[in-house]
Amino acid sequence: MAKTILAVDDSASIRQMVAFTLKGAGYEVVEAVDGQDALDKANAHKVNLVLTDINMPRMDGLKLLESLRKLTHYKTVPILMLTTESGDEIKAKGRAAGATGWLVKPFDPKRLLEVIGKVIG
Amino acid sequence: MAEMQLGNDKIDTQIAYELVPADLDEALCNVEADEYFMSIKGELNQIDRLVSDAVNNLVINFRYISKLTKSHHDMVLAIEKMAAPEGSKPILELLEKQMIIADKIEQELEMAITSLQFGDLVTQLLAHTARQVEILNIELQRIDRQSNWKSGKKTSHVLHEGISKAVNVANAKSKRKPVVQQGMQMGDIELF
Repeated sequence: MAKTILAVDDSASIRQMVAFTLKGAGYEVVEAVDGQDALDKANAHKVNLVLTDINMPRMDGLKLLESLRKLTHYKTVPILMLTTESGDEIKAKGRAAGATGWLVKPFDPKRLLEVIGKVIG
Repeated sequence: MAEMQLGNDKIDTQIAYELVPADLDEALCNVEADEYFMSIKGELNQIDRLVSDAVNNLVINFRYISKLTKSHHDMVLAIEKMAAPEGSKPILELLEKQMIIADKIEQELEMAITSLQFGDLVTQLLAHTARQVEILNIELQRIDRQSNWKSGKKTSHVLHEGISKAVNVANAKSKRKPVVQQGMQMGDIELF
């Protein structure tokens, strides 16, 4: 059974590129346009991995990360941050909030799949 | 005396800041300056729309080319199967070349996925710049209001200080720059 990945980004083109890459590798993809939308969808689907941007309207990626970690199902689900941000301070915040990894945009499809494969097997 | 005067200026500036109610922060004094800043914001929005439109079109093109490539790949495989029993060497060689071309197209498409992410980076930078322009406009309007309230001429020194202060406040109010990338090469990856 294909594993499901929740891809969260307010940029439609990034969502499409992520979905294209992941679907091509056999994953099922649920897309969300911001943190709030992602939280709603995370409750509706039991996803195997979350790949989220940080700077988004309504709810940003760090808030989403904190909110997800409070939910029983998402305490151990890998959550990867895919963002343009790469400062040490914000990375430390993400790490403290329970992020599994940090990927700086732009992503390379092969490397993205390698990392996902590594964290969800 | 000079010290006293300086002290008074300092207090005046502080009072002026305190006197400006929060709801007046948005009120405009200098229409020309506001129009100028608005036109800059309008141009930044125009760039954002053009980039977004171009990215949307490129993504549509990308998906279509990708579909065609897959069809082409499948077709070559089907022809190869049909040609195999005949054992026609020239046909099989031609199909082999076709497969190499199909693989190369797929590799190029993968590279295009990285490049096509430029729209997101540009949009974030434009939003950041638009916010900086807006904050600077508000701070300069504040100086303008203060100078209107004061009687007498402002010395160039005071005006210079006021503008520096406006720029410093605008800097302080600006959020951190959301994009640090200078090119479209792949970003770093770190697993915690």
